Amino acid sequence: MTAIVVENISKKFRIPHEKKRTLFHNLIGIIKRQMSYEEFWALKDINFEIKAGETLGIIGKNGSGKSTLLKILARVLYPDTGTVSQEGKVASFLELGVGFQSELTAEENVYIYGSILGMTRSEVLQKYDQIFDFAELNNFKNMKLKNYSSGMYLRLAFATAIHANPDTMLIDEVFAVGDTAFQKKCSDKITEFQNQGKTIVFVSHSMESVKQICQRTLLLSGGKIVSLGPTENVIKKYMEISQ
Amino acid sequence: MFEYRELIRNLTIAELKNRYQNTSLGFLWSLLSPFLMALVLWFVFKNLFKQEPNFAINLIVGIMMWRFFATATSACLQGIVSKPNLVTKVYLPRQILVLSSALSALIGSLLEFVVLIPIIYFLLGYLPWTIILYPFIHFIFFLAIYGLGLLLSSFYVYFRDLSQIWEVLISILIYCSPIIYPISVVPAYLVKYYMLNPITHFVFIYRDLMINGQLPSLTNLVVVVLFALIMLLIGNLVFSKLQRRFAEEI
Repeated sequence: MTAIVVENISKKFRIPHEKKRTLFHNLIGIIKRQMSYEEFWALKDINFEIKAGETLGIIGKNGSGKSTLLKILARVLYPDTGTVSQEGKVASFLELGVGFQSELTAEENVYIYGSILGMTRSEVLQKYDQIFDFAELNNFKNMKLKNYSSGMYLRLAFATAIHANPDTMLIDEVFAVGDTAFQKKCSDKITEFQNQGKTIVFVSHSMESVKQICQRTLLLSGGKIVSLGPTENVIKKYMEISQ
Repeated sequence: MFEYRELIRNLTIAELKNRYQNTSLGFLWSLLSPFLMALVLWFVFKNLFKQEPNFAINLIVGIMMWRFFATATSACLQGIVSKPNLVTKVYLPRQILVLSSALSALIGSLLEFVVLIPIIYFLLGYLPWTIILYPFIHFIFFLAIYGLGLLLSSFYVYFRDLSQIWEVLISILIYCSPIIYPISVVPAYLVKYYMLNPITHFVFIYRDLMINGQLPSLTNLVVVVLFALIMLLIGNLVFSKLQRRFAEEI
């Protein structure tokens, strides 16, 4: 059973020679014929499949297209060619705490973040206590989020996110932040998700983490797939081309 | 989009809270300011238009309506750019971001309407029964504004001076319909241009329902409904085309 099928994806970015952010500048540009831009193909002809319950790592140099690919999977960016089909509920963790409003209390923010992650109000109500227990923030439920420390912020965001119960998770190096205790909680939770049969796509620079949790890995370079297969082999290939 | 109704609700409430959180009078200010504006204008104009019946109340209703238009469109315009994370880091139908801005402005306008009712009663001596039909015209106006909001918000992502441009347009547009002055002072050769402006028709309907106790004329109704439908259509079309590259431009 495949969870994600990526067919023929290409993505180009338009990089204007001069960034024009206003109507005024654009009009001037059209008149003066200065509307040239560079085309940068961040991804070219990407094809692969991810099986349900699999954890796929995506590695590559900076600028190889990893984040772009993940954003396309998250449906934040639209590809220029090709299609992506996904089964089940997909939650993207490109950043933790998306939609958090600093003027509102932690409790209200959990409801907002929960609904962004696809949880219904009753679901959040049900898991409310578990979320705050996991985050160890039971005494701070009614505090405004702007008064939270960055560690508390992360814990609250992560606690809410992991209770969202998606079928597929897209993770972009978010778990590289936080203290050791937090990191340990993250990796424990990921293991738990894997045992539950969830599909995970994991973009990272840390070969350690990738080796630890991913069965297969995808290596991108210059927007193209260089290697796709068992993690050990692909990491070796990555080391080779990095020389 | 119906699946996302929880999120729409949450975002609307968050936006309302944000708007009134740090202001000293809070929500009361948004009630006070249109009345102050109407008061000043009434004072200035009463000596020019004293033969007009019910000038004060017509003015206040017109101002209320216009303020809803101005506030809602400005809020919608910023709707996408003000919530960058919800565009670049997570997937959701982006129309939600504009809808929640429009809804928060709608709620504000409904509260203003509630305060308006005793004022109408005070100035007229009675309440026309047609005032009960207010929700219908307000809903049509809301749809038109939401459609326009979709248009504005998607362009604003690419053209950041649109907010200033729109501000100027709004301050000019208020003179293009009989809000601050009655239609009777408009020279005959210009009246047909006023009738081309859909806002004029909205004003007439609002005043008919809330002051004159009359049902709106068919022409007015057809114009406003058509306008709302067209705005929704164009707004959605343009938005769905332009939203593809939102995450690259924000």
